[in-house]
Amino acid sequence: MPIITISRGTLSGGQAVAECLAAKLEYPCVGREIVQEAARKLGVSEETLSGKFETPPGRWDRLTHERRLYLHAVQAALADQCVAGELVYHGLAGQLLLRGLPGVLRVRLIAPLDMRVRALADAHHRMSPKAAEEFIESMDEDRRRWVRLMYGADVEDPSLYDLTINLQSISTETACAGIAEAVAQPQYQITDEVRAKLEAFAAQCHEQLQVATSQRS
Amino acid sequence: MAIITISRGSKSGGQEMAKCLAAQLQYPIVGREIVQEAASRLKVSEEALSHQMEHTPKLWDRHAATRRLYVAAVQAALAEYVTEGDLVYHGLAGQLLLRGLPAVLRVRLIAPRERRVRTLIEEHQMNEASAEEFIQHVDGARARWVKMMYGENIEDPALYDVVVNLETMSVAGASAALATMAKRPDFAVTGEVRACLRAFRLASNVRVALARARETRPHNLDVLVEGGVVEISGSVPVLKTGRMGDRISEVARSVPGVEEVRMKLQWYDPYP
Repeated sequence: MPIITISRGTLSGGQAVAECLAAKLEYPCVGREIVQEAARKLGVSEETLSGKFETPPGRWDRLTHERRLYLHAVQAALADQCVAGELVYHGLAGQLLLRGLPGVLRVRLIAPLDMRVRALADAHHRMSPKAAEEFIESMDEDRRRWVRLMYGADVEDPSLYDLTINLQSISTETACAGIAEAVAQPQYQITDEVRAKLEAFAAQCHEQLQVATSQRS
Repeated sequence: MAIITISRGSKSGGQEMAKCLAAQLQYPIVGREIVQEAASRLKVSEEALSHQMEHTPKLWDRHAATRRLYVAAVQAALAEYVTEGDLVYHGLAGQLLLRGLPAVLRVRLIAPRERRVRTLIEEHQMNEASAEEFIQHVDGARARWVKMMYGENIEDPALYDVVVNLETMSVAGASAALATMAKRPDFAVTGEVRACLRAFRLASNVRVALARARETRPHNLDVLVEGGVVEISGSVPVLKTGRMGDRISEVARSVPGVEEVRMKLQWYDPYP
């Protein structure tokens, strides 16, 4: 009973796949809730946290202490959810926040730009295709810079994931069926050994968060 | 019911994956054989053909027409296999040779470089440096070939439906996931899909004929088949004899199965 992380660009259809998968496997499905939970624990507003956590700093800005604190808070909130061993996480950077952990299937979903632009223009009737394209490109660029700054990795590099699925010609249901089959493989099962590692990881995340919190005050 | 193409770097476990998948789905499996078949159809050696398929010219391409012919022949050989729908193809550039066709699940396999080097060392008693060099050489040649022929980056995930990372996934696991996807309605080979695959076979055969005939050979012509009509486009020089259009049409009509030919040529003056 494993953990599935789903990484995707804005409006790539990733949320639909995450929801389909969670329903099929009867797992909880978590995305932004992790950020809300982290904010609640730190006693800051969600906007403050996501402002610092999700938007990359300016070109010359450094990785500040505050940013590190927020990262630890989000990681700890996610780790708490993982201890149970059943989760579909479709929030930011799951493949990196849970890097190196066993029992995690890391999925990346991609879709052609024109398909995403259409999805955005359809969802927001007053948006022109040009504005939609600009919005998506700027979101992608932010995400790329964030991952490069935090982890020195390229978010689009397929070697960061177990599976990369292109939703251009693959339907939500087919992607969902393929991922469910992959995750049923023995290597992703949560054995007692894996569970112990997940618990140790959660404990370590809380420790780091505590250290970072004590440095704040 | 699907056509599955498997692209990968050398020693990434592609052959094993193709076998596993073909056994699971009970599909026929095809790899390098299509190069042999294309070579024997053209009566050239397999080495000559695969050289043109896998190497890129250094500077000025003197062999553009030969290369076009060879690629067309390989594509036509592959087209023979795909008409029935069920197939696992693990040879070169399946995702590009079958570009635009329905019911094709395009898979790319990736594996860490160290593991591929180790496989090569174990299989061929090579030393590490030469194994490393070999893999780099083969990967580089394939990437350059795909860039030249199709203008694409072979590693771009957007060229594929699924990229599988064999660093973490097992061959059996990945194969089970891919088989599940291939059985879904997205990849069903319906009557309509079959008609498309037959049209593709006909277009491939016309392409070979045009790339082979002495007069039409130098010209880069595009062939499309729709509803039994063969449409030929491309730019062709206006020659004094004035018969190039007739000749193209004649060559196309000589291919079995061609009933109607429609020309969409653009003419240019070679001696302005």
